[in-house]
Amino acid sequence: VNQFWISNKPLIEAILINIGLAFSQYVVLRAGVFSVATIGLAGVGGYTAGLCSLRLGLPYPVALLGGMAMSTGVSLLLGWPLSRLRGIFQAVATLAFVLVLQTMMLDLTGLTGGSFGLNGIPREVQTWHLMLAVVVMAFLLVNLGRTRPGRAFDAIGGDETAAVTHGISVRRYQFMAFGLSGLFAGLSGGLLAFQNYSVEPTQFGFAPTIDVLIYVVLGGTVSVLGPIVGTTVFMALPEVARPFAANRDIIVGVVLIFVVIYLQDGVVDSLRRLWRDRRARRARERRDGADAGPPLAWSSPPTTPQAVKDHAEA
Amino acid sequence: MTRFVQLLVDGIATGAAYSLFAVGFTLVFGVNRILNLAHGAVFMAGAMIAVLLVDRASIPFLPALLIGMVAAGAINVLLDIVAFRQLARRQAPEFAAVTASIGAILIITNISQRVSDTSVQRFPPEAFPGSVIDVGGVQLTLIRLVIVLVAAVLAGGLILYLRSTLYGKQLRATAVSEATSSLLGINPGAVRLQAFFISGALAGAGGVLIGVAFNNVNFAMGDLYLLYGLVAIVFGGMGSVGGALTAGIVIGIVQSFTVGYLSSQLSDAVPFVLLALILLVRPSGLFTVFTSERRVGRAAA
Repeated sequence: VNQFWISNKPLIEAILINIGLAFSQYVVLRAGVFSVATIGLAGVGGYTAGLCSLRLGLPYPVALLGGMAMSTGVSLLLGWPLSRLRGIFQAVATLAFVLVLQTMMLDLTGLTGGSFGLNGIPREVQTWHLMLAVVVMAFLLVNLGRTRPGRAFDAIGGDETAAVTHGISVRRYQFMAFGLSGLFAGLSGGLLAFQNYSVEPTQFGFAPTIDVLIYVVLGGTVSVLGPIVGTTVFMALPEVARPFAANRDIIVGVVLIFVVIYLQDGVVDSLRRLWRDRRARRARERRDGADAGPPLAWSSPPTTPQAVKDHAEA
Repeated sequence: MTRFVQLLVDGIATGAAYSLFAVGFTLVFGVNRILNLAHGAVFMAGAMIAVLLVDRASIPFLPALLIGMVAAGAINVLLDIVAFRQLARRQAPEFAAVTASIGAILIITNISQRVSDTSVQRFPPEAFPGSVIDVGGVQLTLIRLVIVLVAAVLAGGLILYLRSTLYGKQLRATAVSEATSSLLGINPGAVRLQAFFISGALAGAGGVLIGVAFNNVNFAMGDLYLLYGLVAIVFGGMGSVGGALTAGIVIGIVQSFTVGYLSSQLSDAVPFVLLALILLVRPSGLFTVFTSERRVGRAAA
């Protein structure tokens, strides 16, 4: 076990960091925001944390907090106008945001070190820091479903029109989703800076943006397990199966198209639904066998009605 | 002054190629409401096919351009049949189509990378006689003239097609409302086929012309031009053909002046800064065409 741990430590750390990024992407998608800003925001967090450490000499936890504050601020600034726009325009605008940021990283040489990036950032991150970060984020996301904003996110993500007709403010909650996404992205970006010794523009461009989107789409945007499974499988698979590594892009492309057409909810959520339906059917059969009552009306927990009740009371 | 005119002419030449790319992009968005991010990859595929035909099979430039266009159009149609139509039939959200197009980028780029052995492909020098026409100190190379000419013919042809032919009118009717136009007897499948073919063919033409202009075709070029295309459609108004044509030329000229008067390093940044400014001032972009089509709950900006 120890041998496995040592030889795979870089991969495990990379997976943990990417799970954080996937969470950031997951939050916005769950709230029905079609933002792809995560990687740009991670860049803001990573560069800010790196600069805080290198230029201002701030200790590692403070620099990390600085990165998180900056990326959350930038994300809210971005979310303010964008939460008014329709999905597809949010996608165009956030994609442009990522590219404008990458161009700034390349061209503001005095601040960002240009294409060489920021180097010589001390390596302060221990693997357990990354694990702790993932656990905390996962905990927040699981419990989000029990809070009013979380239920509003789910209602909007489920059906925006239905949510609006029940008095949920799409703008307000999507703005909040932007903030949370920025927070997670900043944390992951900052951890990356202190794990990797350096941050450079190629880490925050178009290709990683697509990767993060793939983790979440393949895993699923409903369950918190979705991004975790999606990230782990897609980062570990090339290491395990060499033929997969050689043809990675083609296979990922085909799988992606297949998943969006046939498994719209992603792998984890589709499996969960299958399992839940089967359990409901079993329960019904068992009960029908006992007293032959009427069939169950619905089998899934009523998340949206609960969210609706919140807002009816408010 | 000569320098100014020279930069202007150079800018118009590359801008003309951007325009072709942007028009195809905006056409599919306008007619089918699909943001096809694979447009950049299709553009690259057209260029790659043409450059390989010229370089390896010694086919003259113009036939290679035509084959590249038709092939790019065919790839786009295939993409529609395999992915976008399936999604439309299942009434999947917009997001699904964008994700599917990202899958297509990965596939097309990876295949091109293998075909080209990850190396930059160039048109052989003998494909173009390097003649230069000197008009009052302004250098007009034959290549630039060919680019502008081809772009003008294609753009003019497209506008004529959309305005005057029955098929073009069906296309425009579908852009206004697919439901209404199919009630009036227009076959939406046939319209889709045309829109995707024309879009892909224009992307392919743009790719070949850009490839010629910089004499550089590589498997990764699609990403950068996809972004220029995004800038152009935001700038010109999504779904607006005239807007995309104008925006493409404006971007070409702005870029040319940046290289000439400021620095070549900045030239990639300029379009994005322009886009950032538009998005700051008017976050709906200059999306003038579809302002009425907002979802409930969003204030009209």
